[in-house]
Amino acid sequence: MVNDRGQLYTMEGVAAGVIMLLTAYIVISTTSVYTAGDTHIPDMQLEQLGSDVLAMMDTPDNREEEENRLARFIDEHEGTEFKTMFLGYCNAKTSGATDNLHMSANVTYRDGNLIKEHQFIAPDYTWTERESAVRVTRWVQLDLKAGRSPYGARPQAVLLEVLLWRA
Amino acid sequence: MSLDFLAGFTIFMLALIMVVSMVPGLLAGLESSGIDYDAVAYRTGVILVEDPGWPVYPPWEMNDENHKDEIERMGLAVSKETPNILLSTKVDAFFNDSFFTPDDYRNLAIFGDIPYSYNISLRSEDGSYNYRTGNPLPPGYGYIRRVVKIKEPGVAVINDSFASDYTAPSSDQEFTVRLDFGQLLDPSIGPAYRIDPRTEPVSVTITDFNAYLNTTDHLVDNATLRTVTFWKMDPTRPIPQFTRIPFAYDTTNSELYTLTIDGNPHSLRPDGGVEVSENISLVLKPAATSFFTLDQNSILEIRFGFDDTPSRTNITGIHHYDYNATNVTIPDLQPAVLEVAIW
Amino acid sequence: MARINEDGQWIVLMGLLTALALFFLALIINQSALVGQTTAEGVLEFPKNDIRDLRSEIFDYVDRLGTLNFDSDAVREDITRISLERKNAVVGFTVGDPQDVSGRMLRPITIHYNNGVTEYDETVYY
Repeated sequence: MVNDRGQLYTMEGVAAGVIMLLTAYIVISTTSVYTAGDTHIPDMQLEQLGSDVLAMMDTPDNREEEENRLARFIDEHEGTEFKTMFLGYCNAKTSGATDNLHMSANVTYRDGNLIKEHQFIAPDYTWTERESAVRVTRWVQLDLKAGRSPYGARPQAVLLEVLLWRA
Repeated sequence: MSLDFLAGFTIFMLALIMVVSMVPGLLAGLESSGIDYDAVAYRTGVILVEDPGWPVYPPWEMNDENHKDEIERMGLAVSKETPNILLSTKVDAFFNDSFFTPDDYRNLAIFGDIPYSYNISLRSEDGSYNYRTGNPLPPGYGYIRRVVKIKEPGVAVINDSFASDYTAPSSDQEFTVRLDFGQLLDPSIGPAYRIDPRTEPVSVTITDFNAYLNTTDHLVDNATLRTVTFWKMDPTRPIPQFTRIPFAYDTTNSELYTLTIDGNPHSLRPDGGVEVSENISLVLKPAATSFFTLDQNSILEIRFGFDDTPSRTNITGIHHYDYNATNVTIPDLQPAVLEVAIW
Repeated sequence: MARINEDGQWIVLMGLLTALALFFLALIINQSALVGQTTAEGVLEFPKNDIRDLRSEIFDYVDRLGTLNFDSDAVREDITRISLERKNAVVGFTVGDPQDVSGRMLRPITIHYNNGVTEYDETVYY
């Protein structure tokens, strides 16, 4: 009565079970967990906000305004005023407490054959332990101004680069 | 034999059950509808802030209840070339909760495949614009924030500094404000700074009216305003002349205009005239201007007709509603922040 | 044995089928998590603000053409070199002589922008 004719079934069953369990294990262990930062959505929101603010600061409020606001900030090295205005726009919300964004800024200019960077606003204490920062840029046209350093007196186009992050 | 078959089959079934029970663990942490809240919020933000809406001209915000289905898309920008600069009339029209239903907002601004809940809010830096529409915010939502500037319409203020220009001893008791569309709609002026009576209200305020009274008689402290009429001229015609525009001068319609005399509202042709002692304020809304069938070369005149015998006012002359800063005060662009939340 | 016993093979086949179904399910789930990510990446990748900013800068350049002390070649080189170095974009533009366009004298400007992923060409009158 007891023979080994049915052993094949058992072996087939075991083989099938092993295949399924192995696949399940491989599948589950390779599914990745996405955090909010991986999706780059906060980066997109910050970048759009920063670009908006730079564009609005570059727009004169009326037809009579002769001087470009950003050019004046750069010419006169008014880093603190620029930072106050920029962060004022970035952190404003329609209701509730203001947001908690921080920034630092550089100006990139061309000096002969070299492209140089000048730090316009240094980062503050939140520079460490922050979320990932976003870079937004704006072209600024500087007019002739004698004795302007380090950019030089000639009329030139410089790139204002702002790093924006959430503390 | 069947015993071995059962054993094999049992082992297989046990393994299958274990695997199938692990499958829900794969699906945990996935939300199919929540995954694109931020993307829809971003797209709605772009539609509102960077697009003037459709139709652009005649502007969508001037459609009344009967023509609401002609609106295809609501956008707040002044024009396609001026993103992030919003027009105040579009902003006021968009946040009008009594005119637009939640379905309107979904179909004309959000364009989602499923009916999303929304909360759109706008606040200007000085608080003069503080609008909100939609449901209260839940714990989790998709979000975008845009920084904008709002363009507000200009006002022509005629105060006593103009008295010497606009009074004459033998006056015809008629004061005219002239809008030369060819000058106003000059394409060399950017849309963000342009005066466009077709889309923005025209505002005329005459204050310090006692400077315009007939000073020879000291007992006179007011004059009677009989009519305010609109005239148009097409300078491109061979013999251009002004023609009076047919309009419902006798009825007050706050959708078309507001005329305030010494703080009280009146129609454009009040019975028996109204005595003016301090100020006159007329706001002509773009809905009315659209009835006048003006084109980009027309000249529109607003004539204030006073009539007293003997005349009590010396006011006369033509005030040009143009880009001269003393003639028309155009307010600065107002910074504001717009937030869109979708869930 | 004389003949290979294939009676039980259907069990293994069922096991294989289930494994395949699991594999397919895992593929779909893996792809779905990327939906939100690629949307945001798509927005980040398209240089909308860069191109708008570049156009505005070129219009500022054209405004200053011909004014005193304005070295147009130097400023043009500023724009192209800094774009290449800091924005990783090849930028080129040419400004023509003023032409009559419906009563106004406007210059035709040809703008070329290429950041490796997006290429943008435009001819505009300003």
